[in-house]
Amino acid sequence: MENKPSGSSPTSFLDQLVVPGDVVLDLSNLTNQTIKLGGGLRQDCDSIVVVKAGKLRFTKPNKYWVESSNKRYEPHAGDSVLGIVVDSRADNFLVDIRGPALAFLPVLAFEGGTRRNIPKFEAGTLLYVRVVKANPGMNPELSCTDVGGKAAEFGQLKDGFMFESSTGLSRMLLSSPTCPVLEALGKQLSFEIAVGLNGRVWVNATTPSTVIVAANAIMNSESLSGVQQRIMVEKLLQNLKLST
Amino acid sequence: MEIDRVDGRTANQLRPLACSRNILNRAHGSASWSQGDTKVLAAVYGPKAGTKKNENPEKACIEVIWKPKTGQIGKPEKEYEMIVKRTLQSICVLTINPNTTTSVIVQVVNDDGSVSFMVMHLSHNMLLPCAINAACAALVDAGIPLKHLAVAICCCLADSGCVLLDPTKLEEQKTKAFAYLVFPNLTLSILPEGSLKVEGEPVEQAIITSVTQGAMSVDDYLRCLERGRAASAKMSAFLRRSLPLQNPSDSSKAG
Repeated sequence: MENKPSGSSPTSFLDQLVVPGDVVLDLSNLTNQTIKLGGGLRQDCDSIVVVKAGKLRFTKPNKYWVESSNKRYEPHAGDSVLGIVVDSRADNFLVDIRGPALAFLPVLAFEGGTRRNIPKFEAGTLLYVRVVKANPGMNPELSCTDVGGKAAEFGQLKDGFMFESSTGLSRMLLSSPTCPVLEALGKQLSFEIAVGLNGRVWVNATTPSTVIVAANAIMNSESLSGVQQRIMVEKLLQNLKLST
Repeated sequence: MEIDRVDGRTANQLRPLACSRNILNRAHGSASWSQGDTKVLAAVYGPKAGTKKNENPEKACIEVIWKPKTGQIGKPEKEYEMIVKRTLQSICVLTINPNTTTSVIVQVVNDDGSVSFMVMHLSHNMLLPCAINAACAALVDAGIPLKHLAVAICCCLADSGCVLLDPTKLEEQKTKAFAYLVFPNLTLSILPEGSLKVEGEPVEQAIITSVTQGAMSVDDYLRCLERGRAASAKMSAFLRRSLPLQNPSDSSKAG
């Protein structure tokens, strides 16, 4: 890794691995600019300090954040996640989204939802939901509609298989262009998939063996490069063809 | 004056360090830390909703459970739990997730074992610094927000008055006094050096925890602090190298 000579400070931390405590920005040099801070950074008077280990990222014009992959999720407004219903109250369903607090899903937050057609979700139901509000110290609020009020694929996910992994894997699966493992699987198998930014992935297909192969391929792909992912998918699909 | 240590190290030399992250599947964060033969495994679960009765609900709460290698849990384990908890509380940013509990479980895997049964009960072990280092690495692995990292080291005072760093169990039994010291890690900063101050004092002079046993003079204690701080710089560099390595090497760009 880099050797920091004593007496000089690095000019920029962008795309570098940072650990908690590193001071990455000096606000006194950046007067009259607005900066947006994402996860992993905190403002400490005039400097921006790292609180999570990871890679520091920047996109123009002014967004900074620390990219890291964890097994827990920090709720942010606008994210689509997979939640599991824990309990139901008069006004809300209590949904576990793998964050520090349980999230509330209002019973009317569905397309065409009225007091008369409240869905009956039991404990353990898997839902694909959107995070509406995620303020610090409060329980996050969810919704089964998109911003315009339409259902848009949100709601209960029936059948299929859900597994949990890390947030980094979810981001990789949702990146564009399509990540290599999904592309390679999609060329040979037909399946549907729902990826939550909280590290949960749901896979469904017509036969159980397809579901298992797709889930295993995705679970294995987190630390592999693009080429390695394609090779791994090839091997798994060969085994699948040999056994059927 | 040169001191002959049993394993051939000089007075300022540390035992070989090894650290691995993300070793447990179910824990939200985990790390193992070994210094020589002493090895400790730490697992972090959380943050989970709710705090215990006596804890302040406006802050995050940290709960430490210490599991010894053998034997029942008794008063020494409770003392270790309290020391580790106070140390970790001072490095975590407790205001970010109020009303949550983060559990840290420390499991002693190997404690530089002495073969004699009687001696084991009478001696103290090198576990505490190892455990604090492991717990800090596990918190980073779990993504808990931290103000900075904690680097723990043990210094003991030999009979001749020399300060020895990172003593083995045998050396520790023979000394008249020793101290466990925890320092914040050295941070890289884009600001010019020397400008980082907390309440008017430079951050480089900070200390988080100090636990001492035995009698030593003030001068000896200050010498221990100095040696310990110098050694913690090397351990800081080691932590910085080993911590991010478990992240996947290719980054993803959200569409």
